[in-house]
Amino acid sequence: MEKEEGRTFGRHIAQSPMEYSLCAGCTTCEIVCTLTHDGLVSPSYNRIFVDRGTRSMIHTILSCQHCSDHPCYNACPKKDEAMRIDENGIVYVDEENCIGCGLCAKACVFEPSRINMVKSPDRKKRKAKKCDMCRNDPEGPACVRWCPVKCLAVTGGTLPWEEDKKDE
Amino acid sequence: MSNTYGYVGKIARINLTTGEITTIPTEKYAADYIGGREICNRIFWENAKPGTGAFDPENMLIYMTGPTTATGIPTGGRSVFTGISPASYPEQYVWSGIGGWLGAELKFAGFDGFIIEGRAEKPTYIYIEDGDIQLLPADGLWGLLVHPTQKKLEEIHGRKVKSMVIGPAGENLMRNASITTSNDSVAAKGGFGAVFGSKNLKAVSVLGTGAVYPVDIKKLFELRLKMANPAMRPSPVKLEPTHGMDGNEIPVEGGWLRGQVACSHGCNQHCNRLMMNMKSAFSDERINQVEKCVGIFAYGYKEDCSWSPIQNFETSKNHFLPCKMLSMESPEPDFSDPYAPELFKQVRGDIVDFWKPDFDKGSVMMDMCNEYGIDKWDVIVWFMTWLSMCKKEGLLEDMDFGMEVDVENEEFVKYFLDMITYRRGKYGPIFAEGMARAVRTLGKEKYGDSIYHGRYSQMIGQRLDLPVSLEAAWGHSFHWQGRGFEGSIYKAGWLAHTLELMTSTRDIMTVAHFHDDYSNYLEYKDDPYHSKKLVESVIFNILKAETKDTVTCCEWQSPDIYWKDMEAEMLNAAAGTDLTGDDLEHQAMRSFLMFRAILIRNFGRTRKMEVEAVFPAITIPDTFGEVATWEEFNDLVDIYYDALGWDRETGWPTREVYEKYGLSDIADELEALGKLPN
Repeated sequence: MEKEEGRTFGRHIAQSPMEYSLCAGCTTCEIVCTLTHDGLVSPSYNRIFVDRGTRSMIHTILSCQHCSDHPCYNACPKKDEAMRIDENGIVYVDEENCIGCGLCAKACVFEPSRINMVKSPDRKKRKAKKCDMCRNDPEGPACVRWCPVKCLAVTGGTLPWEEDKKDE
Repeated sequence: MSNTYGYVGKIARINLTTGEITTIPTEKYAADYIGGREICNRIFWENAKPGTGAFDPENMLIYMTGPTTATGIPTGGRSVFTGISPASYPEQYVWSGIGGWLGAELKFAGFDGFIIEGRAEKPTYIYIEDGDIQLLPADGLWGLLVHPTQKKLEEIHGRKVKSMVIGPAGENLMRNASITTSNDSVAAKGGFGAVFGSKNLKAVSVLGTGAVYPVDIKKLFELRLKMANPAMRPSPVKLEPTHGMDGNEIPVEGGWLRGQVACSHGCNQHCNRLMMNMKSAFSDERINQVEKCVGIFAYGYKEDCSWSPIQNFETSKNHFLPCKMLSMESPEPDFSDPYAPELFKQVRGDIVDFWKPDFDKGSVMMDMCNEYGIDKWDVIVWFMTWLSMCKKEGLLEDMDFGMEVDVENEEFVKYFLDMITYRRGKYGPIFAEGMARAVRTLGKEKYGDSIYHGRYSQMIGQRLDLPVSLEAAWGHSFHWQGRGFEGSIYKAGWLAHTLELMTSTRDIMTVAHFHDDYSNYLEYKDDPYHSKKLVESVIFNILKAETKDTVTCCEWQSPDIYWKDMEAEMLNAAAGTDLTGDDLEHQAMRSFLMFRAILIRNFGRTRKMEVEAVFPAITIPDTFGEVATWEEFNDLVDIYYDALGWDRETGWPTREVYEKYGLSDIADELEALGKLPN
C-alpha cells in the first residue's frame, strides 16, 4: 500500500524518475492497453494516459492508483455487477453490465479522471474503461511489458529504480 | 465508419476561400493507391492544373496518413504532405514527411487525410473534432511563435488536442518555412509552412475519440518486437560532459542533459535527442529542444562529420538502422565478418572552418528555427555557411546588413534569422526567398559560384575548391551527398544519391538515403558509371522511399535490406492484405510513375532539365578530389532510363511502362499533350 494525502493506494502502475528512464512519449502504453483489452486503438478506450509536455517534451504517465477506499466502485449504481472487486482487491469493470453512466469517472479523485469513457451515439456502446492491472494476464500489465524504455513498473515491491537503494 | 484498408473512411476537402467542406471516401483511392504519398500523387494528378504557383490559392496541400497510422505498428504515425513547393527552385510538386501524433488523432476524429485549397480572407485555423470541421478565426494566434501557438491551442481546446502549426516564418511567406507538430516533428522539406501562410492558415488542430482497428494484432505485436530490434531497456537522462564530434567537440561547463524521445505515435524507438535545460533565444527561461542529425552542425562546424562505408554499404552480419544513431544504441561491429574492417573504416570529413564550436550559440540558432518555424537544414547548412564563406572571401564588403556579419556572434545569428523571418531591411526580403533565389537575385557568378579557399581534405592532405553557396539541386542544399564537406562518401555512393536527386524535386536524403549490400558495391565500385547493378540498387532505394511514405513508415527504420518484406508485413497486419515486398515494389513504381507524370505534365520535366540541374554539384571535387565527367554521368543516366523503360532523349516513360503499371489513363492524357516519347 502506498499513501498520499491521507489516501492509501493498492498496487498500481508507476512511472520512473527520468534519471532511471525518460518517457519517450511514444504512447505505446496507451496503445497496447487498448489492443490487449479491446482489439483496437482509441483514446477513448485506454486505461493509462500520456500527458504530453508539449513545450518541455517531458511526458507524464497518468494511471489509476487503485485507491483503497475505491470511490469509483462506491459510486457505481450497479455495484458488484458493473464494477467489481476481485480476490486481490483490484477494482475492475465488467463491461457486459456497465451502463456507461460515467459516475465512476466523475468519482475518481484524480484530475483528469483515470477512468476513460467510450463516447458513442449508441448508448449500449458507452462503457467505462478502468485499469484492471491486466488481472487475467499471467505476464502482468501490458503497458509495463511493452514500454520500449521500461519507464513503467508495478508498485508493491522494490521498484526497478529503487534497486540501487535497496542495500543502503 | 469504414475500417477498410486500415482506414476510418474519408478524406476531407477544405476550401478556405469558400468555406466549403466536402468529403471523399478513402476507398476511392485506397484500393488502388494504398495510402500516404501514393494517394497524394493520385489526388494531385487528378486535380492540379499546370501553371499553378506555390502561393496561388489553387495550390492544394494534400495531407495523408497511411494504413498503419494509429494501429500501433511502429513508425505508422508518420504521415505526408504534398503540394507545390515554394522552396523548390523552380517551384515544383514536392512531398514532405512528418511525424507526431496528429495523424493518429485525425483518424480518431474520423478522417484519413485532408486537402486544403483556397485562401482564407482572414487568419484562420482549422479545428477538427469527431467528424466535424470548423474554420475558426486565428486572430489570437497570428504572430505567435510555434510553441506559444501550440500552447494557446491547448488552452482553447484542451490538453489532448493535437496541432500542427506555423510560426512567423510561414506567416511571412519565408520560402523555407516548416510546419511543426508534437515533439518538434516538422514537415520541413518543401516550405509548406509558407503555403499555410499564403492561405492565411495558422494551424490545424484535431481532437478525436474514435477507434482504429488493426486486423492482425498478433502480428502487430511481433512487429513491435522485431522492427529495428528495439532496445526495450531503460533510457536514462544522462549528463554529457561534451558535445559534438569529429573536430567539433566542445566541453560544456557543468555538462548538458541528454534524453531520448520518440517522434511519432506508437513508435518503438526513441531516436530524437532531447537536449534539456538549454539556452533560449527568447527569454532567460531554459528550454528543452530536439536535436536530429543536422543539429550537430549548429553547435560547431569546423569539420564535417566522418563517414564509414557501413552507413551506405552493409552485410548481413553488419547492418544497422539510422534510428540507432542519435540514441547511441548502434550494435557493436561483428568482426567475424571478413568485410568488417573495410565497412567500419573511418573516412574523415573535410575541414571547412565555417564556425568554431559554441554550445550556447548553437542552442539559440536551434531555438530560433524551432520557434520561427524554419527548416534547420537551410539555415545551418546553407544560409550560415554562405555567410561564413562569403565573409572570409571578402564578398560581403559592399553589402550593408545593418550589423557586422559574424556567424560566430550569437547576436548576429539572432539578427539575421530575425531579418529573414520578418523580411526586414534591404536584404531580409531577398533572403526570405531562400538561398537559391537570393543568390540569383544578388548575382550567381559572384555570390554563388565564387570559390571558398578554406576547405581542406584530410584524406588527400590538400586544399580543395568549394563554391560559397552549397546548392545541390532543385533549390535544396547539399545533404550528405558525398562531397567531403557534406558526407565523405565513396564515388559509387554519391553517384547513386545524384541519380535519386535527379528524378526528384527536393533533398532526397531523409527518405531515399542509399543502402546496398557490400557485395554489390564490390561489383560496381571500379566503374560505377556503367553498372546496371548500381542502377538496380538506386531504383530499389527509390521504390523503398515511395513504399515507406505510402504504407506509412519511417525513413529511419526502412529500408532494412535484409528484411525486404518488412513494409508489406506492416501493411498486412494493419489492413489484412496479403501482399509481399515484390507486390509493394510494383505498387511503389505506380507511385513513382504518377510523380513522374506530374512533373512532366505540370512542370515540364525533361532529361535535359534534370541532368543539368544535378550535374554541377558533382563537378565539385569530393574529399578524394574526384569529380564526375559529363560524358560518363550521361552514360549512367542512359542505363538508368533504360532500366526504368524511359526514353533516353526526353526522360519520359513510354506508354508501355504506364500501362504495365495500370496507368493507361495517365498515358492517354500525356499523349494528348504530346508528352509521350515518339
